[in-house]
Amino acid sequence: MKVVGKSVRKVDGIPLATGQPVFTLDVDLPGAAVGKVLRSPYAHAEIVRIDTKKAEELPGVLCILHHGNVPRTPYTTAGQGWPEPSPYDTFLFDKKVRFVGDRVAAVAAISEEIADEALRLIEVEYRELPAVLDPEEATAPGAPVIHDEEDARGIHDPQRNIAAAIDIRVGDIERGFSESDVVVETTCEFPYVQHVPLEPHCVVAYLDEEDRLVIRSATQVPFHVRRIVARALGLPLSRIRVVKPRIGGGFGTKQEIILEDVAAALALRVRRPVVMKYTRAEEFTSARTRHPMKVRVKLGAKKDGRIHAIEMDVLSNTGAYGTHSLTVLSNVGSKTLPLYNKAPHLWFHGKAVYTNLPVAGAYRGYGATQGYFALEVAIDELAEKLGMDPLELRLKNHIRAGESSPIFEKIGEGREGKAQVVKSCALAECIREGAKRIGWYEKRGKHLWDGPWVHGVGMAVAMQGSGITDIDMAAATVVMNEDGTFRLLVGATDLGTGSDTILAQIAAETLGVPVEAISVYSSDTDFTPFDTGAYASSTTYVSGGAVLRAAREVKRRILEVGAAILGDPPEDLDLAESYVVSKKTGKRVPLSEVGHRAMYVTDQKHIIATASFVAPESPPPFAAFFAEVAVDTETGIVRVVRFVGVADCGTPINPALAEGQLEGAIVQGIGHTLYEEMLISSRGGVRNPSLFDYRIPTAADVPEIEAVLIPTDEPTGPYGAKSIGEIGINGPAPAIANAIYDAVGVRLYRIPFTPERVLRALRTRS
Amino acid sequence: MAIRRYHYARDVDEALSLLLAYEGRGALLAGGVDLARGPGTDVEGLIDITAAGLGGISRDAKKGLVIGATVTLEEIRTSREARDYLGGFLTEVMRHVATLPLRCMATLGGAVVSAHPWADIPTALIALGAEVAWRNEEREERAPLEELYRRPFRAIFRRAVLTEVRLPAWGGAFAFEKVSRNAGDIALLNCACGLGVKDGKVAWARVAVGATPYRAARLTGVEELLVGESPSAELLAEAGRKAAAEAKVGDDLRASAEWRRAVIPALVRRALERAAREVKGDA
Repeated sequence: MKVVGKSVRKVDGIPLATGQPVFTLDVDLPGAAVGKVLRSPYAHAEIVRIDTKKAEELPGVLCILHHGNVPRTPYTTAGQGWPEPSPYDTFLFDKKVRFVGDRVAAVAAISEEIADEALRLIEVEYRELPAVLDPEEATAPGAPVIHDEEDARGIHDPQRNIAAAIDIRVGDIERGFSESDVVVETTCEFPYVQHVPLEPHCVVAYLDEEDRLVIRSATQVPFHVRRIVARALGLPLSRIRVVKPRIGGGFGTKQEIILEDVAAALALRVRRPVVMKYTRAEEFTSARTRHPMKVRVKLGAKKDGRIHAIEMDVLSNTGAYGTHSLTVLSNVGSKTLPLYNKAPHLWFHGKAVYTNLPVAGAYRGYGATQGYFALEVAIDELAEKLGMDPLELRLKNHIRAGESSPIFEKIGEGREGKAQVVKSCALAECIREGAKRIGWYEKRGKHLWDGPWVHGVGMAVAMQGSGITDIDMAAATVVMNEDGTFRLLVGATDLGTGSDTILAQIAAETLGVPVEAISVYSSDTDFTPFDTGAYASSTTYVSGGAVLRAAREVKRRILEVGAAILGDPPEDLDLAESYVVSKKTGKRVPLSEVGHRAMYVTDQKHIIATASFVAPESPPPFAAFFAEVAVDTETGIVRVVRFVGVADCGTPINPALAEGQLEGAIVQGIGHTLYEEMLISSRGGVRNPSLFDYRIPTAADVPEIEAVLIPTDEPTGPYGAKSIGEIGINGPAPAIANAIYDAVGVRLYRIPFTPERVLRALRTRS
Repeated sequence: MAIRRYHYARDVDEALSLLLAYEGRGALLAGGVDLARGPGTDVEGLIDITAAGLGGISRDAKKGLVIGATVTLEEIRTSREARDYLGGFLTEVMRHVATLPLRCMATLGGAVVSAHPWADIPTALIALGAEVAWRNEEREERAPLEELYRRPFRAIFRRAVLTEVRLPAWGGAFAFEKVSRNAGDIALLNCACGLGVKDGKVAWARVAVGATPYRAARLTGVEELLVGESPSAELLAEAGRKAAAEAKVGDDLRASAEWRRAVIPALVRRALERAAREVKGDA
């Protein structure tokens, strides 16, 4: 292959690196107003009275929206496919606030200062209600009911604060455990963590010259934004255009419609452009987080190490709204249990409960991350109890190419799934390669001391998916220019991942041209075809599938014209090096001549094709993770000395970008594992809503990371590709936990592993 | 009230007269780090003192170090004078403070005056016995930093300009230890320890622990324990344990009093051990 498999430069790299005005807020529209949101100081309260008179009298204030003057339509902020699996439990503004930071009102004013002043002048009388601040207490009898509104829909059990629930059984779990020789049980906890995209949520909404609403937004899901805003505001879909410029990071938080609806409502009301952006503090209090979870895993195995029964029990805290509550919960099991497909007895059950706490949503890894933390720590414990090397235990039990798992069929996207046979899997090679690189056999169990530091190594394995089976659909249009270059129009959403680049590579490979011959235009609901968006590790596989199909169709049409020029039948022709070439005679004609002829000379037509691709299945990428840690036994500090991640993502279309995804996800995972945690006050507020007190890894924190790809050929993927965007974040927590155990013999079940927690565990043991 | 005026002070006198004229509504600006973190809402005028002649690092006649108030932390870190002073102790301390971009802005004077309890610089300066000089309406004043922090120093600097920090020469060695969550973070705990050794016995000792979460304090009981004794491993370990007993510790968002008390012994012992290794009895 000429282009696929090459680490070509990102197509948007130069404008990004040279500071071109490519981001959402890099536009300056005349007369633009600033929108700001008044936020609830209470975890749970009824708005008894809201008086905006003083604020409205402030010069420069253009409009104030609140529950009394906007339409009331239940919707979800989760930008997911249709039918939407998340409950409709959100309103533009409501009479009730359900967490500290919830929306109370919004202001549009001619400047930010005036908008801020107006927020201070809005008088709100609240009646504070008892709040649910602990997910364990959410379902208790007599607990305050968070969603008591009658018009919410799709909530599993509103009276008991259960947003979503799941209960899946395979085989006979009780028999499974009674037939097992060894049983272990582990509960791991994942706290509130935040995505912290470099660019906070931001949007510009305005009416164009034809009075259509244009929403320029930092979103991962432009087409879902269009659909959800249309629903929330009662607008025809055709009146809305959503444009996604370059994004400064998303990681799932921009799969949420949390600003576009308000900005659109304000713009429609004031008939001026409205600019809105979250502050960093709002990102913590009022954007989205990973679902905090408690996951209990029980494993039963035969003496020889065959895993015989797996129970997974999940308590997920969705916060005040149920966005992604069911699907994240489902993924805790659906993305983990198939990995150990030999076990005949499975029970996966759990619930996602409402609390009066910050709202959880989509976050890279999407439940799998929480699931793998518990599962892979439990596997380490099982190996110990069996007296087996955990590496061998995993090698013995993991799924292989040609195999399936009943879970694929049992759990889908908020409904039943679809049976699927794994067609490509290099997990065994990933495990062996990683073991070699970390020095597994030299270091495991050796407790090497270096002053107060003691070293240990641990590992974990994981899989993910590639898109959502039968739901994720992407379309692409390939347009030939008369000079033999092409335009590629995709709804796909590059959120910094490099998807514009790899989609261009897929088109270029198919059309026999260099990447430079492809101009990519993406993510504009008026000018690009549909795409569900950038989530669920879907873009390479699903959008790439659409690009491949569209490019093949354009190729077919080019060959027809080429055939007319060269006098050879199309089946004897191919595309290479920007020529139509006869495979038989070697005769060739440049694409520029083909394009010119098609457009201007003979039998004129524009060579152009659109194709769609629906994920027929969701081929899992696989990865093995190895951590070497050093634990300071006197302070409790854990240092990741080295981290090796080895992944099978099928054919890496662009190895450098794929390695970058793996490496970035590992760094983010190390942050979760060692220091990230949103601290919640006794009244439900976030105590550390700033980067001063919520620490994320910086370049100076990154240990020596080896991100290694073991290519396979996925037959259903474009040029053999699978996904790589999310899987890397599943490994660090369990691999580091297991490495700490190897080093100091202490099991830790709650991240982050702060010096305080580690030291306490060390002292409790001794 | 928003900031309305920006002044460039040509010298300390001008800075001071502007500051006094604002009667509490003016703020001195050097690196601007703390102003950017949270400017007082009553600040109307900014008085830029970066050109007021308060830069420069030099050695004094007694081989001490004199550092102007507007010298940035990164200037200190990369200076020859700091490298040559006490085996580069200050260079090492500065390496632990914040991140490179912040160190290029933040000034030593700013660190002294803002005196954040979690900061590293007060801990190091108190251990070193730093003396600071400032100019007020009447005169130039000087005081050991440790003593200044016992006075209402924030009120003093609303009507005074800090001019320089003087660090005495020490025949011995110092070491700094810090625990933080990640690179560039503030301390969960820090300490600076110094030792001088004569005839195999500790001649003098300086021990300061900070971010407890209170501002750094010298632990004189620990210093007394050390002086006159042979700096053996046992002695330094005992000093660490005594430090934990003597230091005032508390809880904050970042760490508990329990953890701080548990970690102080190791931190102080490590700093003392490193200082002892370096001093090698050549006091």
